[in-house]
Amino acid sequence: MPRDASDLLHGTLDVLVLKTLSWGHMHGYAIAEWIERRGEGELVIVDAALYKALHRLEEAGAVTSEWGLSDNNRRAKYYSLTSRGRARLRSESETWKRYALAVGRIIESS
Amino acid sequence: MQGHSRVRRAFRLPASRGQIARELEDEVEFHVAMRVQALERAGLTHDDAVAEAQRKFGDVQDLRDYCVAIEVPHMQRAHLRERMYSMGQDLRFALRQFRRSPGFAVIASLTLALGVGATTAIFSVVNGVILKPLPFNRPEQLVQLWGIDANGHHLHFADPTFDHVLAENHTLSAAAEYNSGNMSLSTNGTASRVTVAGVSKQFFRVLDVRPELGRMFAPEDQQKGSPMVLVISHGLWTRLFGGSPGVIGTTVKSGQTSMTIIGVLPPGKEFPAGTDAWYPREPFGEDQSYTAHNWNVIGRVKDGLTPAAATRDVSMVLRRLHTAVGDATWTFDGTAIPLRDQIIGSVKVLLLLILGASGVLLLIACANVANLLIARMAVRESEIAVRVAIGAGRGRIAQQLLIETSLLAAVGCLGGIMIAAAGMRMLLVLRPALIPRVGELSLDWRVLVFAVVLSAATAVALALIAAWRGTAGDLRAALSQSQRTQGGGGASYRVRGSLVVVQLAMTVVLLIGAGLLARSFIALMRIDPGFRTHGMVVAATVFDDPRDADYLGRRSVYYQQLAERALAIPGVTGVGISDAPPFSNGSSNGTFLVLDNAGVKIVPSDLEALFKDKSRTGYATYRTATGGYFKAMGIPVLTGRVFDASDRPGGPQVAVINAALAHKQWPNGDAIGKVIEFGNIDGDLTPMTVVGIVGDTREEDLAADPASAVYVDFDQRPGNSNEMFVIMAAEKEGSTIGAARRSFPRVRADIPMRFLTVEDIIGRSVDSQRFMLLLVGVFGTVALVLATLGVYSVISYLVAQRGREISIRVALGASASEIVGLVVKQGIVLSLVGAVIGGVAALAATRVLKRLLYQVSPTDPIAFASVLVVLCGVALVASYVPARRAAAFEPMDVLRGG
Repeated sequence: MPRDASDLLHGTLDVLVLKTLSWGHMHGYAIAEWIERRGEGELVIVDAALYKALHRLEEAGAVTSEWGLSDNNRRAKYYSLTSRGRARLRSESETWKRYALAVGRIIESS
Repeated sequence: MQGHSRVRRAFRLPASRGQIARELEDEVEFHVAMRVQALERAGLTHDDAVAEAQRKFGDVQDLRDYCVAIEVPHMQRAHLRERMYSMGQDLRFALRQFRRSPGFAVIASLTLALGVGATTAIFSVVNGVILKPLPFNRPEQLVQLWGIDANGHHLHFADPTFDHVLAENHTLSAAAEYNSGNMSLSTNGTASRVTVAGVSKQFFRVLDVRPELGRMFAPEDQQKGSPMVLVISHGLWTRLFGGSPGVIGTTVKSGQTSMTIIGVLPPGKEFPAGTDAWYPREPFGEDQSYTAHNWNVIGRVKDGLTPAAATRDVSMVLRRLHTAVGDATWTFDGTAIPLRDQIIGSVKVLLLLILGASGVLLLIACANVANLLIARMAVRESEIAVRVAIGAGRGRIAQQLLIETSLLAAVGCLGGIMIAAAGMRMLLVLRPALIPRVGELSLDWRVLVFAVVLSAATAVALALIAAWRGTAGDLRAALSQSQRTQGGGGASYRVRGSLVVVQLAMTVVLLIGAGLLARSFIALMRIDPGFRTHGMVVAATVFDDPRDADYLGRRSVYYQQLAERALAIPGVTGVGISDAPPFSNGSSNGTFLVLDNAGVKIVPSDLEALFKDKSRTGYATYRTATGGYFKAMGIPVLTGRVFDASDRPGGPQVAVINAALAHKQWPNGDAIGKVIEFGNIDGDLTPMTVVGIVGDTREEDLAADPASAVYVDFDQRPGNSNEMFVIMAAEKEGSTIGAARRSFPRVRADIPMRFLTVEDIIGRSVDSQRFMLLLVGVFGTVALVLATLGVYSVISYLVAQRGREISIRVALGASASEIVGLVVKQGIVLSLVGAVIGGVAALAATRVLKRLLYQVSPTDPIAFASVLVVLCGVALVASYVPARRAAAFEPMDVLRGG
């Protein structure tokens, strides 16, 4: 049963977006596709929530954007990670891993 | 690096809320299109793919609201940063410009400082005197009441007249009598001279003042014969009692009279201005006469009523009174004048006039700075043309100029405030009597706001002029022209020329005003006042012993001893005593009777009938004086004799009159030997024989014609004034004052006295004129300097601009003097046009000075002509200097350099 990523705990989507962008600059659709593929269908993202996250991250200075041309020659807005975004990704992935570990331990201890 | 990234960021910064929404729209559209493509590839029909993509995207409206909400403030902050950054850039650029031409920056900001300073200083006076309300609650309710006599002149109130008004009016919630005088006040053995006011019951209720300490007068203080109590001012409290709360209940002495201090008034609440202490008038009893016009009256109009209503009311009461008592009263009518108008009165027009003059000065200063700016614009035209060419908008250029002029104006404003503060300090030192409430002046927030607003307006106006000049016209023309001449086009010269003409015209108005005042002042100082104008010292004394039966005896002995002491001072050649010498402000006027012979016995009941015969009455100033008075004052004896030892207190009474009275009353020249009765001043009805005629003297107002005067003998008729003046003729005034200060207290230490030289006295009488002359003179001089600079700069500019033309003329054989003539002619034309316009304007403007002028017409041709000559002379010099430079042009240099 796939999960809507926006249902996940607050901040999870932001980490996923940052992680995705760490591979290079991408437009919003590519990011959505990338997360869905890597999540192997387990994580389905409502697109609007993804764009909220992108604009939120841009306002916070973690990503910047630039209009460019897509592979099929259409005007698209490309996002890329800033150095501040990279630092944020590092610290939030750490937090997320510890968190996931803790949750897993609790669930398996039954 | 930082700057670089900011600039890059600026290029893709959304400019508005709409743009944010549009960009988001594009982003979403792209996303959905990509998704539809993918779904179609997976086998969905187009319609199903679109529906699925939209479902998967979610709520677009919600997303848009979210993004706008977070990005709009972000955008606004970013815009502000950009704006600050560009202003910072412009500011740095402006500073660089000023560093490159410090002369311009210094002259321009100094010029502005002068204009702003002068206007601000004068505004501070207008603010303190006219704009600030009187320092009392509901000050608009306060009125000054006046009686009106048969000729329509204002009259003070007599006690019974005031009582009628108090009892019968329906419009005043309170009204009170007051009068002012000086008295001595001794504390711990040292006597001070203080200004006091005797006030009737409701006085402090009219003013609505509460004590800072202690209490106000209570009914038990306000009975006939009550012990004397005093309320003192905050100033006197700190001056004499060090602000100690223990002052309440302290007993002080005035002469031998003891008084208890019961209250202290808060600061700034003194009325009349300058009063140190107030006492209830009731303990001294009332005067029953309807013609003893001894009292000023103030009142407070009831809530909701106006002073006009009070005037109608008081007028009705007094007219009814006149109908009832007839000739017993001289008061026919009455009026109520708002207290504020009473105090500022005629000064208002004058102050606004001076404010106008300083405003003109500011305009001249602005014109000058505008001129300088335009000259710089001409030089910078190519710089600006380049900036416009590479894409700077008109707005950006205007912002740059506004920042430059704001910098100048800011420095000018600071300097102006300093000049205003200095000017105000000078005003407080001069304390011109012309200006009421001068003690209340201060640089308060209103003045500071005025200065800042004035400077800001100046900056904007200057920037507009400069921007208009700087960005107007054909760019290409400016670019190509500037390579040749480094100057502007012909239009620039016309603008600058007309600015200079305006400047010159305004200068002419100020200078003519100053010239008229100066000529009037000289005329005033040339007036022979009829007494010594140097080498005379006056000691003003207050004899405040209790008014018992022996008062006059003790007073007479005291002044006799003082006169002996004065005569013993080395260098003193004459000593006289009087109760009211000219400028003492204390002389009384009244009607006297001419009698048949000295044997007539008069009783008060006869007087009314005798006064009815107008051929046998006269009107004169009345003063008591010793025989030595005339010699000490330097008043010449024209006929007969003055008082001498033969005039004994009990013997036949004599009088001396002045030439004006002799001429008016007895035109046939037979005044000597005539008998007069002049009892309505001091109550002594004994007839006096005229024994001498002396020269006229001018009184408080030097410009007024000498008044008729009757002198009576101090030994025979000592009068009842507590103020007496000891006059000493002595060449060395300073040492005489020093000696008198040491010697006089040995007679009695508890009598306070003040020493004045005759120069002080005369100086004070022309205070207003001197003050106006100083002010307008300073303004006029500054204006002249500025206008000279204006002429100089515009002619220099002209010479630079026409360099090629002049060179060609030289090359074609024009002589140096022809070139000089050519250039100077331009200056002369400018100054003539300015002078004519200014002269016409001055004809209209100087009429308002009429009241201040003495023996000079507001259209005095000498003042007008001399100003025009001075102006043209100055213009000549100001244009000659650049003209010489033009004549020295080496034609080939200019032609090659061009």
